Amino acid sequence: MGITELEKRKILYKDTLLCYQCAKCSSGCPLVEEMDMYPHVVIHLASLGLERSVMNSETIWICASCYACAVKCPNDIEIPNIMNRLKQMALDEGFEPKRKDVYKFHKVFTDDILRRGKVHELRIMIEYNLRLGKLLKNATLAPKMLFKNKLHFIPPKAVKGFRKWVKKTS
Amino acid sequence: MEKDNIALYPGCSLETSSSHYMKSLKTVFSVLGIPFRIMNDWNCCGATSVKSIDYDLNLQLNHKNLALAEEQGIKELVVPCASCYHRLADAEYMLSKDEKRRTELNGKNDFPYKGQVKVRNILDFFVNVVGLDIISKNVKKPLSGLTVACYYGCLNTRVPLEQSFDTREYPMTMDMIVKALGANFIDWSYKTDCCGASLFITVNSIAEKLVGKILKDASLRGVDCVIVSCPMCQTNLDTKQKSIRSKNSIEQPLPVPFITQLMGLAFGCKPKDLGLNKNFVPVESILSSCSVVKNEDE
Repeated sequence: MGITELEKRKILYKDTLLCYQCAKCSSGCPLVEEMDMYPHVVIHLASLGLERSVMNSETIWICASCYACAVKCPNDIEIPNIMNRLKQMALDEGFEPKRKDVYKFHKVFTDDILRRGKVHELRIMIEYNLRLGKLLKNATLAPKMLFKNKLHFIPPKAVKGFRKWVKKTS
Repeated sequence: MEKDNIALYPGCSLETSSSHYMKSLKTVFSVLGIPFRIMNDWNCCGATSVKSIDYDLNLQLNHKNLALAEEQGIKELVVPCASCYHRLADAEYMLSKDEKRRTELNGKNDFPYKGQVKVRNILDFFVNVVGLDIISKNVKKPLSGLTVACYYGCLNTRVPLEQSFDTREYPMTMDMIVKALGANFIDWSYKTDCCGASLFITVNSIAEKLVGKILKDASLRGVDCVIVSCPMCQTNLDTKQKSIRSKNSIEQPLPVPFITQLMGLAFGCKPKDLGLNKNFVPVESILSSCSVVKNEDE
């Protein structure tokens, strides 16, 4: 583990240590019934240094980053940010994302931005289905949106100097 | 209000799937006498996807936007999309707290970011910069008789406390705008409940359940429509409403106009200038609930 990994873990422990397990995050979470681990348990395990047991959970991927928990937390723990950090650590350490359907969307979306600096919504929907191997997913949604001209076949114009910027910063 | 320093950060969806938001914004800005200036060369904010798998890239993308806005002399960056607003406001906050990170990112960019740009949510802009008095002064067809539920969604208000412009758990800015237009708003415990965001595409069963709960409650309270200011919320509540309604035994269709579309109707603008044809659930029908407009028609 490189120093940056260690740094990342230190930040994770520091941010989660304030939690006193009131479970307001779990009680206010709109997605809790879809999760395999309660959000307050995620925070608890992370604060104990047992984050590896969390990286394999569906919870970190099901979290929609709605911040209902963060607003309710009496200790101002930004729980969605911690969920994100756990996702990134899981990917860095080679964990298979437990919810590939969610992960692949994020990946397709991110890759698309890096192409031209703006999102091409139709391409994302097509590429997502291809990478997921489910060609008929959202099969009724896309035609409806195309019909109203809400999805465009032609991608947006690339942002001036964006590719150069990507090369420079990465 | 110093009009020269104001510019809009539209975000990707306003150029495609939510072009009706853009159109109605432009129309409403013109009525209110605000120049419709769009920031040049903006790039995507990364939305929830980028920050989920690459937080650093998310911060870089938004640092670039803020630095560019500053270079263009923009002091007030008005953001209509809740997701873009959340990302930009988060970057503004993080970069103000972390001098080291800002200096490091400044070194990688063409322009430095000094922290002079104020990221404004569109609701904050209408209420606190434009002013409710100016809005009500421009109302030509008061929406009296219309009862609406204001749906804020998650990301409009759930920014760090120091950044917030409204009560995070029970916001009222949109309700105040609605009141200035002459309509009634309701007390509503669902106003900041989550619509599922991108789960609408990835795990539709979950998102449809969440949307179903929101629409069901709104319909039980007898509102004429649900007002939004977030492109993602609008898409989720509107696009597949017919099938979601039948699953949740909701009889009446619930139009989901953007707040700017509602403002435009009250300002007496033409439906085509507000992009009403892009809404899946027809919006014009709500006008029949307005006593004044009905009288004029008769």
